[in-house]
Amino acid sequence: MTDLAKGRKIKQTAQKIQPILYGIFRLVILLAISYIIIYPLLYMVSSALKTASAFQDPSVLWIPKVFTGENFKKAMEAMNFKESLFSTLKFEMISALIETATCAVTAYGLARFKFPGKKLLMLMLILLIMVPSQMIIVPMTINFSQLDFLGILKLIGGIIGKELRPNILDTAACFYLPSLLSVGLRSGICIFIYHQFFAGLPKELEEAAWIDGSAPPRTFLQIALPSSSVAIITVLVLSCVWHWNDYYLAVMYTSDNFPLAVSLASLPQRLSLIGIWPGDIRNTLGVMAGCVLFVIPILVAYLFLQRLFVKSIDRVGITG
Amino acid sequence: MKKKRPAGVERLKSRYGLMFVTPFIVGLILFFVVPLINSLMYAFSDIRFEPGNTVITFTGLKNIKYVLFEDPYFINNVVKGFSTFAYSFPLIIVVSLVMALILVQNFKGRIFFRGISFMTVIIASGVVIEFVLRYQGADITSAGTEASIMEDMINVESILTVLGLPSQISQYFQVVLESIMTVIWNSGIQTLLFISGLQAIPDQLYEVSKVEGATKWEEFWFVTFPMLSKILVLVSAFTVVELFTSKTDRVVSSAYTMMQSTNYHESTAMLWIYFLIVGIVVSLIYIPFNKYYLKRWE
Repeated sequence: MTDLAKGRKIKQTAQKIQPILYGIFRLVILLAISYIIIYPLLYMVSSALKTASAFQDPSVLWIPKVFTGENFKKAMEAMNFKESLFSTLKFEMISALIETATCAVTAYGLARFKFPGKKLLMLMLILLIMVPSQMIIVPMTINFSQLDFLGILKLIGGIIGKELRPNILDTAACFYLPSLLSVGLRSGICIFIYHQFFAGLPKELEEAAWIDGSAPPRTFLQIALPSSSVAIITVLVLSCVWHWNDYYLAVMYTSDNFPLAVSLASLPQRLSLIGIWPGDIRNTLGVMAGCVLFVIPILVAYLFLQRLFVKSIDRVGITG
Repeated sequence: MKKKRPAGVERLKSRYGLMFVTPFIVGLILFFVVPLINSLMYAFSDIRFEPGNTVITFTGLKNIKYVLFEDPYFINNVVKGFSTFAYSFPLIIVVSLVMALILVQNFKGRIFFRGISFMTVIIASGVVIEFVLRYQGADITSAGTEASIMEDMINVESILTVLGLPSQISQYFQVVLESIMTVIWNSGIQTLLFISGLQAIPDQLYEVSKVEGATKWEEFWFVTFPMLSKILVLVSAFTVVELFTSKTDRVVSSAYTMMQSTNYHESTAMLWIYFLIVGIVVSLIYIPFNKYYLKRWE
């Protein structure tokens, strides 16, 4: 009997201890991962604030004795920070907003209606997700240098003997046009997220609206969209982040008004133009400062949106 | 048998549906299908620019031959790309799934840890990662990899000397640690997609499995995992595309360098060959999964 009681007691304590052990295990994993994520960021910030001599001084670990703004100044000068930031905002961010809006329209059409050719369209959506944008970037660039729609403008131009095809490279149009037609930067995934959300939304309200004589466009604007703030925020954040970090499209489409990501990528070379050669410690530090400058705007925006975004992720519900 | 035409209301609805997707169809044709066909054409031709015109002359297999047989780096780069893929892909899927499983639970500090893990999504641009993880190594040590920051983070060698192990082992540890670092930095969006997928699993299923007396392990394999199958495919597709097109992939970056010096034909040929190989390999892995998945999509 006593043995049995003892056994039961051990079992009970084991049951009590188990969640605690699990909690510790979880905490260890999370802390390790947080360490891996935060360390490079802190490293970046701390070295951006150091002078070249402090960077090489082994006694200075994290916080330099003298903070210096020199690296930031040099990085800003080399990156053309103001102009680059302006082009990022003008080209990329507005394009992200457009994409967020148009992808919702497309996804609503795909999720709510039956029409001939829908299966083909879904297949194209998968292709759009799978085919990397690098595959089509060259024809897109060539097309944008002489904007044409299936050769129509060339034909008309040939008849009236005038060049009608505008060169829209290095303008905002080459970012806006694909976004307007919801085939912009990673639109496939945005459409997919919206599609999953709309498919999970109860149909009844919209059907009631239809019976009451509201046309689908109005139903979409007044019923579907207001109840899908979760999906909108998720897509908006992702799209903004992708556009902000976009390098591949921007480097091909722009030749003068470089967005931030492109300026940052060429920062080591740009620094050497103002006399800080690669191999010089100051070049490394300048690049670190450039990274900080690049990350800060979007990080600040994220910190404001974080709670909203974290909650949205919970509720956007991409189901199987 | 004649197909029955849909009734009036249905037809009206389908027209509205088409109205919603018309911009997308136009966009697909103008900015996806046509460029894709064009780029296939470019792979077999020579492109020259004359004022006001682009001259494309067909040259047959010249570009393909150049990429496959004359380019000294291509084959090596492809092998490198696939070996990175081979270890990163499973690691990224597992790490992001584990992260997601942890972060959906309710515990103190959940918001904080979520905020940190989503930070990788925010900063996960090739450019910053490349600079912070790799670039600085090039100047301080001559190793030129992310080893330098890893060495700073965890001093493997000192741990090994404490444990009394030979220092040669430290190299292997270094490689493992490096890949862990890259993997964690690259699994932000995947974690996010998994979390949103996990949230969508109805609670009743878990209640039932609890009543039936399933252990946590069984619960994972018989409830969570099957319910995640579709999100898993999406995540895998996304990861494959990300891995093969990231800025650190050598084929893509060399093709980009070629493009910037307006060497369009050879770079397109290179990308086509590369992504065809990728496509074949990936679809070979996925054939059983794919059928099942396409059926379930609608």
